[in-house]
Amino acid sequence: MPPKACSPACANASPARPDAMDFLVTTLLNALTLISILMLVGLGLAISFGLMNVTNLAHGEFVTVGAFAVYFVQSMGGSFWLGLAAAPIAGAVVGCILEFAIIRHLYSRPVSTVLATWGVSLILQQGLELTFGLGAKPVTPPIEGTLDLLFTVYPAYRLILIGIAMLTLLGVILLISRTSFGLDIRTVIQNREMAEGVGINTRRTYAIAFTFGAAIAGLAGGLVAPLAIVLPQMGVNYLANAFFVVIVGGVGSIGGLVAGSVFVGGLTSILNYQISPSLAQAIVLLAAIVAVRLRPNGLFNGASR
Amino acid sequence: MIARDRNWLLIFAVCVALAIVYPLFADGYQLTVIRDALIFGLFAASLDFFWGRTGILCFGHAAFFGIGGYIMALVTLNDAIPFASLLGIMGAVAGAAFVAAIIGYFLFFGGIRGSYFTIVTLAMGVICQQAAVSWSSVTGGDSGLIGIPPIEFDLGGLHVDLSQDLPSYIFVSAIVAVAVLALWSISRGRWGTVLTAIQDNEVRAAALGHNAPLRLLVTFVLSAAIAGLAGALYVCMAGLVAPDLSGLLLSTEVIVWVAVGGRGTLLGPVLGAIFIQRAQQTISSFNPSLWPLLLGCVFVIIVFVLPDGILSIYARLKSLFKGRRRAQ
Repeated sequence: MPPKACSPACANASPARPDAMDFLVTTLLNALTLISILMLVGLGLAISFGLMNVTNLAHGEFVTVGAFAVYFVQSMGGSFWLGLAAAPIAGAVVGCILEFAIIRHLYSRPVSTVLATWGVSLILQQGLELTFGLGAKPVTPPIEGTLDLLFTVYPAYRLILIGIAMLTLLGVILLISRTSFGLDIRTVIQNREMAEGVGINTRRTYAIAFTFGAAIAGLAGGLVAPLAIVLPQMGVNYLANAFFVVIVGGVGSIGGLVAGSVFVGGLTSILNYQISPSLAQAIVLLAAIVAVRLRPNGLFNGASR
Repeated sequence: MIARDRNWLLIFAVCVALAIVYPLFADGYQLTVIRDALIFGLFAASLDFFWGRTGILCFGHAAFFGIGGYIMALVTLNDAIPFASLLGIMGAVAGAAFVAAIIGYFLFFGGIRGSYFTIVTLAMGVICQQAAVSWSSVTGGDSGLIGIPPIEFDLGGLHVDLSQDLPSYIFVSAIVAVAVLALWSISRGRWGTVLTAIQDNEVRAAALGHNAPLRLLVTFVLSAAIAGLAGALYVCMAGLVAPDLSGLLLSTEVIVWVAVGGRGTLLGPVLGAIFIQRAQQTISSFNPSLWPLLLGCVFVIIVFVLPDGILSIYARLKSLFKGRRRAQ
């Protein structure tokens, strides 16, 4: 049953005819799109918030910067793929500057970090608005059209997005579990003093890990740019959702990140079918709060932190 | 401790005296400007009561301000409700307290503290603003509700009508003074001492028999109730309510007022609110989009230069003149 092709700009690619199998697969793929984005944005937060204990309220701006990088490259005549390559670089540059200028001076002052990073987030938002002007920025996807998936027809770009996100996540898992830098990160997380004792430069490790998280969030921004409304203020929604991913999933493991993303992303996309998006957001928030009350250490982590 | 209390009461008395003589020198417009700033000062004091005493930062306090404002607007705009002003204020306070109680119960008894609490309240603010925009049949959507009448009620034969500038200024000043004094006496007494103990070491405070989550919850609810009261007063004075009142920017601004004025002083945030709003009006008259940019810079400057607020300049100067120069 081939339903009409949905424009990739709409929040959910919805089928025209209520066919049970079709509906199921479309919902699943919509959820998977959102889950992929949340995982990429949440990854950086899991590193900074979960592991370094740094509450970075400017994390959403990495997503914004990534999306604007794609817009900028496209408006200069470059291709989407070039923009997508620029997005993580833009995120990394902003993240690196933020770490050097502000965050590394405030590791021992958590509330100050919250205030300072929020200030940076306001400065970045307003700076982007002053540079690029008011209004939503158009970003065209590299591929229009749809792909026939036996049960349903689905926008091809969304499938590419899911694929890139999964590959990125796999790469991160390999990086953390297989390389010597990954070993350094795991050591610093477990015990900072001991890591310093065995000769690991913890400041450098933190800085690189933070920049890396910012780059991944920038990539997420670049990926989501053709589907989302690209605005200087777009970051805050991703910020709130990504924090829920980390809080609900529990810190300290990729499994927690996946569980949190599935919880938040899945619930949001299922609810978006029935009710208005902001009501869906409110219900997801309440569900997250209840989940945290029931499982304080995260859905995935059985043992205490 | 005693000397500090005396100093606080002295400054408080000076502020009250200034508020009393101000109408002699100001015209109607200047009175309304200070009156509105004082309402936001009350809002700042409500946040400081929680943040200053518990060390836990609520990043969505404007949600309670907005809830209070919307309840007040809905009650007073409904012709069928008698004693609308009084009932509206009570409803606003109760509504904000109720929402705070529900959210606070899950968070405090779920062991959520510190940054986690900040994040969840941040999201709460975002959602409140979204709800105010999208639930347009009740809240009026983006444009909000207009035509909210001024407060007017009879109390024991006394007719209170706040449609004029001077009565509304006196009414607001009196409420702010009483509320700040009440919050101060709560936070300096036994209640505040226990909160400080919980902030320093919650496990130890619990071991001494204090129900830490309950204390935090009650403090949070009280703080939200005062924020709701401020919201209710504001919409009556302004005559309109809009989604911005529960928005993230206001939540952010109130944090700056408290941080600039000095966290934990209750009076400092009120003064901070008045001063920063004056500055904001001046700057916004040049270019409205400049203000958020400057606000961001203020955040960064506070953290690195003035971690204890404006009032700490005085203490620093004092120690400088006494020759007790200490490195940081």
